[in-house]
Amino acid sequence: MSDYLETLETSNNPENLSENLLANLIQVKDVTKKYRLGNNEVEVLHGINLEVKAGEFVSIMGQSGSGKTTLMNIIGMLDRPTEGSILIKDIDITKKSQKELVDFRRRTVGFVFQQFHLIPSLTAYENVALPLVFSGDKDNSAVESALERVGLAHRMHHKPVELSGGEQQRVAIARAVVMKPKILLADEPTGALDATTGSMIISLLKSLAGDMTVIMVTHNSELAEYSDRIVYLKDGNVAE
Amino acid sequence: MRLHSLVLKDISRRKTKLGLAVLSVVIAAAAIVAVVTTFSAATDGLYEESNKFGANIIVRPEVTTIPLVAGSTSIGSLSTGENYIEESEIPRIHTIQNNSNLAVVAPRLYGVAELDDSSVVIMGVDPEKEKTLKPWWKIQGHWMAAKTPEKTEVMVGSDIAGPLGLKEGSPITLSQGNISIDAQVAGVIESTGGNEDGYVILPLATSQYLLSKEGKVSSLEVRALCNDCPVEEISRQIEEVFPGLEARSMSQIVETEMAVVEHTESSAMAVSIITLLVSTLTVASTMLASVNEKLKEIGIMRAVGASNRQVVSMLFFEGAIIGIIGGGIGFAIGTAASSIAAPMLVSVSPSPMWEILPAVVGICIVTGMVASIIPAKRALGVDPAEVLRSV
Repeated sequence: MSDYLETLETSNNPENLSENLLANLIQVKDVTKKYRLGNNEVEVLHGINLEVKAGEFVSIMGQSGSGKTTLMNIIGMLDRPTEGSILIKDIDITKKSQKELVDFRRRTVGFVFQQFHLIPSLTAYENVALPLVFSGDKDNSAVESALERVGLAHRMHHKPVELSGGEQQRVAIARAVVMKPKILLADEPTGALDATTGSMIISLLKSLAGDMTVIMVTHNSELAEYSDRIVYLKDGNVAE
Repeated sequence: MRLHSLVLKDISRRKTKLGLAVLSVVIAAAAIVAVVTTFSAATDGLYEESNKFGANIIVRPEVTTIPLVAGSTSIGSLSTGENYIEESEIPRIHTIQNNSNLAVVAPRLYGVAELDDSSVVIMGVDPEKEKTLKPWWKIQGHWMAAKTPEKTEVMVGSDIAGPLGLKEGSPITLSQGNISIDAQVAGVIESTGGNEDGYVILPLATSQYLLSKEGKVSSLEVRALCNDCPVEEISRQIEEVFPGLEARSMSQIVETEMAVVEHTESSAMAVSIITLLVSTLTVASTMLASVNEKLKEIGIMRAVGASNRQVVSMLFFEGAIIGIIGGGIGFAIGTAASSIAAPMLVSVSPSPMWEILPAVVGICIVTGMVASIIPAKRALGVDPAEVLRSV
């Protein structure tokens, strides 16, 4: 896994940027996902193939049950594919152990969820610091930078209940980017927000793309237009 | 921010719910502390009581006819026949392996003499050693001195002093056969309820002269020090050094009472251990409920990088905190409870046993951590993708 991380570090070098933009950071190869529901087996994804370049902002759209969130969870290694493989910088992460995947997630992927999923007992600052706590990083200077980046440095000592929906989502985005991940996965990030706030969040995600690869799951075609590319999923297949 | 501060924040948020888990640990810890403190004090009390017997080993020839006592307790009888211990042999007792435990070795010679036309039992003793063995004797007058060329002093029991009108300074004449001695009463022993109430006690050398038993003693009273020294073993060693003598341990008396205390203590400890097991289940149940409530948070933490080890560490730390708080409070309550209950149950007033505090808290920490195993297993079973999708 350390070789893999070094590879990712190299890809962040500005001299390699143009090359990076052409390179495929993420390759989803023949990914199938089946779930067992009682005695029945349900196939949610049917041999999906997808390639995402470094720094790209990709939206995944599709109807409910089309497998968008499942695909995103598999790319973020919150879930494993039943068949197929996920390559990050040509390294097959589906073959990694659970421990290696935790390390992968921690350093490479940031998640933003529709329901924000902040921990209510912690302040904005503490929520953003969580990934650093789990990685054992004692330098918390990145926390303030991340909060500044989402415009919430002045609200860092507030608990989620004291923040608006848009602010909570911005805290969640700060938490997702505090480790400076290469990939940001956002699952319906505006689903719980009004249109104006939603647009602001998408603008924020858009501003992050380039520094990192952003994959966003959304129902909203208007918001999806902000992205570089839209991938449509229909019944577990890519219909790009 | 560190991992443990996350746990502390979580605990402070769920004080009421975790209070139940803490309470169950408090009850178990308090029960254990109360039992240990109370019965430890009871045991110490018994040993202290046993010290009042004076000697705890009686060495004598293997025949008996004259009653022997230790304190107020009758321990059998002793013959005045021809079986005696040679006084010159007594120092050999200090060759036993546990000789460092021998605090006092007091020789005694028993016999019968005439006093004012009455037969009395006389007991010859080493005054200084006897004084060490019988510190509770109250003397009207003073302790007799060892035999001096100028005068001979004796002490008399209250049952003799009363009828004969003896008191400090009274002259008496003791005779046995053709031998008689004049002596002065140094003091009268206030009634102890024991056999000494009927004795005339005189210096060993005087009694040997009167009874024509120079260089002989009837028995040795041995005081072996310490609560847990091997009295039975010391008796065995003495019998090895003195073949033909019987060394009888007074610990049999103490042990009978001790057996009752230990039996009660075992029963109380069994109840405490059951309480501890129930406490473990209560903590486990409370923490399991807590984990079920926190599935979403655990899913979030795992999604943002918490490893299995970190999730388990957090739950174990929570269990340990419950143990520390419960153990500490339990110690205080148990100590307070024993200070109230012990005087009523075992007639002793125990002191706080600070030395068991680390052990009690340690047991409670282990209890809390053991109780965390099932919740930890549940937490590890959390599928972040599933949990985050379902909320």
